[in-house]
Amino acid sequence: MSHPLLEVRGLSIRFGGLVAVAEVDLTLNHSEVVCIIGPNGAGKSTLFNLISGIYRPTHGSMKLEGKDITGWPAHRIAAAGIARTFQSSRLFNDLTLLDNVLIGMHTRTKSGVFDALLRPATARAELEAAAVRAGELLHAVSPQLHARRHTLAGALPQADRRRLEIVRALASEPRVIMLDEPSSGMDDRDTDGLMADVRRVMAERPGLSFLIIEHDMRLVAALPDRVAVIDYGRKIADGDFSQVRLMPRVQEAYLGQKAAHHA
Amino acid sequence: MDALLMQHLLNWLVLGSIYTLIALGFSLLFGVLNVIHFSHGDVAMVGPFIALAIVQAVTAMAMPLGASAALLVAILAAMAAIGLLGVLLDWLVIRRFRTSPAMMALVATVALGTVIREMIRTLYPQGSNPKPFPAIATGVIQIGDVVIPVFSLIVIGVSVAMVAALFALISHTPVGVRIRAVAEDLSIARLMAVRPDRIFAVTFFIASAVGAIGAVFFVSHAGVVRFDFGIQLGLIGFSAAVIGGLGSMNGAILGSLLIAGVDVLVQVLVPDGASYRLVFIFMLTILVLVFKPSGMLGKPVFEKV
Amino acid sequence: MSQTGIQVEAPVERSGTSLDASIVVAVELGSAVLLGAFLLSEQTAIVVLLLAVMGAIFGLLQWRPAFEERIVAAFHDQQQLAIALGAVIVMVYPFFMQGSSYALHLLIVAQLYAVLALALNFQLGSANIPNFATGASYGIGAYTSALLAINFGVSFWLTLPVAAVVATIFGFLLGFPSMRTKDSYLALVTIAFGIVVHQLLNNFSWTGGANGLVGIPAPSLFGHSFTRPIEVLGFRLPSQANFYYLSAALVGLSIIAARRLHNSRVGLAWNALRADPLAARCQGIDIVWYKMLAFGVDAFLAAFAGTIYAFYVSYISPDNFTFLVSVTIMTMVIVGGMDNTLGVIIGAFLLTMLPEKLRIFSDYRLLFVGVVVILFLILRPQGLFPQRARNYGAHR
Repeated sequence: MSHPLLEVRGLSIRFGGLVAVAEVDLTLNHSEVVCIIGPNGAGKSTLFNLISGIYRPTHGSMKLEGKDITGWPAHRIAAAGIARTFQSSRLFNDLTLLDNVLIGMHTRTKSGVFDALLRPATARAELEAAAVRAGELLHAVSPQLHARRHTLAGALPQADRRRLEIVRALASEPRVIMLDEPSSGMDDRDTDGLMADVRRVMAERPGLSFLIIEHDMRLVAALPDRVAVIDYGRKIADGDFSQVRLMPRVQEAYLGQKAAHHA
Repeated sequence: MDALLMQHLLNWLVLGSIYTLIALGFSLLFGVLNVIHFSHGDVAMVGPFIALAIVQAVTAMAMPLGASAALLVAILAAMAAIGLLGVLLDWLVIRRFRTSPAMMALVATVALGTVIREMIRTLYPQGSNPKPFPAIATGVIQIGDVVIPVFSLIVIGVSVAMVAALFALISHTPVGVRIRAVAEDLSIARLMAVRPDRIFAVTFFIASAVGAIGAVFFVSHAGVVRFDFGIQLGLIGFSAAVIGGLGSMNGAILGSLLIAGVDVLVQVLVPDGASYRLVFIFMLTILVLVFKPSGMLGKPVFEKV
Repeated sequence: MSQTGIQVEAPVERSGTSLDASIVVAVELGSAVLLGAFLLSEQTAIVVLLLAVMGAIFGLLQWRPAFEERIVAAFHDQQQLAIALGAVIVMVYPFFMQGSSYALHLLIVAQLYAVLALALNFQLGSANIPNFATGASYGIGAYTSALLAINFGVSFWLTLPVAAVVATIFGFLLGFPSMRTKDSYLALVTIAFGIVVHQLLNNFSWTGGANGLVGIPAPSLFGHSFTRPIEVLGFRLPSQANFYYLSAALVGLSIIAARRLHNSRVGLAWNALRADPLAARCQGIDIVWYKMLAFGVDAFLAAFAGTIYAFYVSYISPDNFTFLVSVTIMTMVIVGGMDNTLGVIIGAFLLTMLPEKLRIFSDYRLLFVGVVVILFLILRPQGLFPQRARNYGAHR
């Protein structure tokens, strides 16, 4: 591919006196899976918030397929093709699973207020077609979820919440999907199940690129093409995991200076 | 100094003091309990009614107390009573919304305000009619050309004293430390053996009592009291607290002075200003909220994502 | 502000269309009779008895949710019958009011409040936007149409759309600060707006000041003036009946608008905005636009209600459109059930008629409303009829 899908250059943000993310360069190519790792509080989620448009950077630039999206608000970035999940699974708890996925399709549907009021048949048809697609999406990831699609999202157990959030993110047919600590809070069995589902999604959507924040090193070793390490808001390493994990600076970040010297 | 200018200045300070006493209550309750106590103005307005009732009872019983002494006793008693009323209302209604979404607590306290107003109106004899409220002081001090009503001095003086006492309480007493702890981080405060219920009760008492004296001054300044004066006073006090930044005591003072300033300026500069003062006050509120959503001295809240 | 006390469709047994039809007919006729008895009874004892009956029915539905599901399913299957029968009942209702213009008056006021409650429901119920200025939109609609009619002789029917547009512009203006203000501060902004409007109406001489506007001419349709009684087939209805049909038509329109918006991409966006504004943004929802839209729709409908009100009572003053009116409307939405069309209408009817019917308590009406709100918020925050999950044809 001539130029990368997502190109982040010198991205920085400060909150008052605190620099949360500093001069981060990141490149994501088409069909690539990149894991973002680093110690707690390093600024990984803040980086996600910057890329998804929740925060505006104080310096730096972001480009999606060559188009400058720096400083764009979150809803425009979502419409441009970047979808994400949250560490705490921000689902719409008092709506059904199907409604949650349908809302994920917001950027792929277009009925507005006048359509809803004055051309209800057309608006309805669009919504019902979307509901069918949403059902299919749910079924593809988990038939159990599909069976429960008319129940409320708030009642789901943890692993299913993650799955639903992923389906919702996929519903917008994104170019880039960002997963924020998908395995956090789950035991090994749940994690394995979730990762199998993620792998299946990757196989079914070869053009989709993934950006994943993870702490579980089993996943980091197996899943991505590349790994980027963030510490104190800066990227300190970028490359194949087997090489990156041996770098002294990376070990220092996780273990502390003294321990790293002994490792 | 020009006598007229002095009069306006005094007016500004008097109104500013009154609004401060109410705004402080809002900010205190928000800072410590994280509740927007919409009925605070109405609760405070019960104070003048209690004071009136006591004064009338004292006169009826022909006790050997001078009029001013009776009024003083009445006001002090009213303050205490309203403090207790605040605590009671918290225990009855408001505490049930501590963990509810903010909107529910808001609507509940708006409804509570209606209930309080209606109770005043139905319980107090002929509650629907405005009642004259005695002036706290009628004398004046004359310095050259300038005439300074004693009442103004009393209002400003008492308010300054109360604010100073409140600041001293918060910063230098054990209770104050606990209040600050609860305001800062409730869960940690609990771990430090602070009893939140006690602190909430103390905070409600203080906020309501201080509000009561603000209402008394307001009503004495106007010369008359009506059961629904609490709406306006409460809204202005709330706006002042919000403009200054909810939760900030300095903000409450700043916001109150700002609103009082607009209030006086409008009455002086705008033709038929008295009818438009509320318009300007609330337009100012809207403007500040649009450009500085957390108020002037408020800290912008960053949502943890 | 919704809790998860929400009802979700349970799978229902189908037992044939004739049973469904009977259920629909029984429920609609029964409700009509109950309401009629309530409206016409003069004695407090009977009113209390009827209230007890309503309470018992409600209690039954709560105790056995399957009943409610069955009824809803029946209405779904027999939708056309339900609508047709409902329309017929509404049309012939005034003939059963024994010529009581007071009963008709109550119905008119209840219907207008139902429209106002439905208008607010878009914001409060669907999108959780606290709007204490619905009373102001109501008032702007009323004043715009009244001024047009009095000063320029514009016909009622023309003032309707104009008033709606003016109020909608005001609604967008009100929504503008919603960009940056959240929740409680937004509530304060709407309260402030409402007070500013009220004060301006009170002070401007061209709006009649504190005395308001009098002599708003009655509308007429095809030569039939609304001040004249309706005579058909030998029956004579008081002139209020004209406005009854007018406001009933408006309620019908509002219900249609509410359902269409709720079951649409817009309704979903509002619900997302209510549940989690941040997550909603990340799904591509422009929450500023949808907030403004909610303000606009609320103002549009409220203005229609205001126009009808102005021409009905032919005299309006600023005190008809205060902060307390907005609070009353909000109460109806909260008590009736947030984001539930039927619940909101029932809330409006209950809160309009109860204080009127419990005459001996008339002086305590506001107190009653306040206490009811607080009790509901503590005991049953989701309202009488909580929101229902969408079904996308699950019954079929």
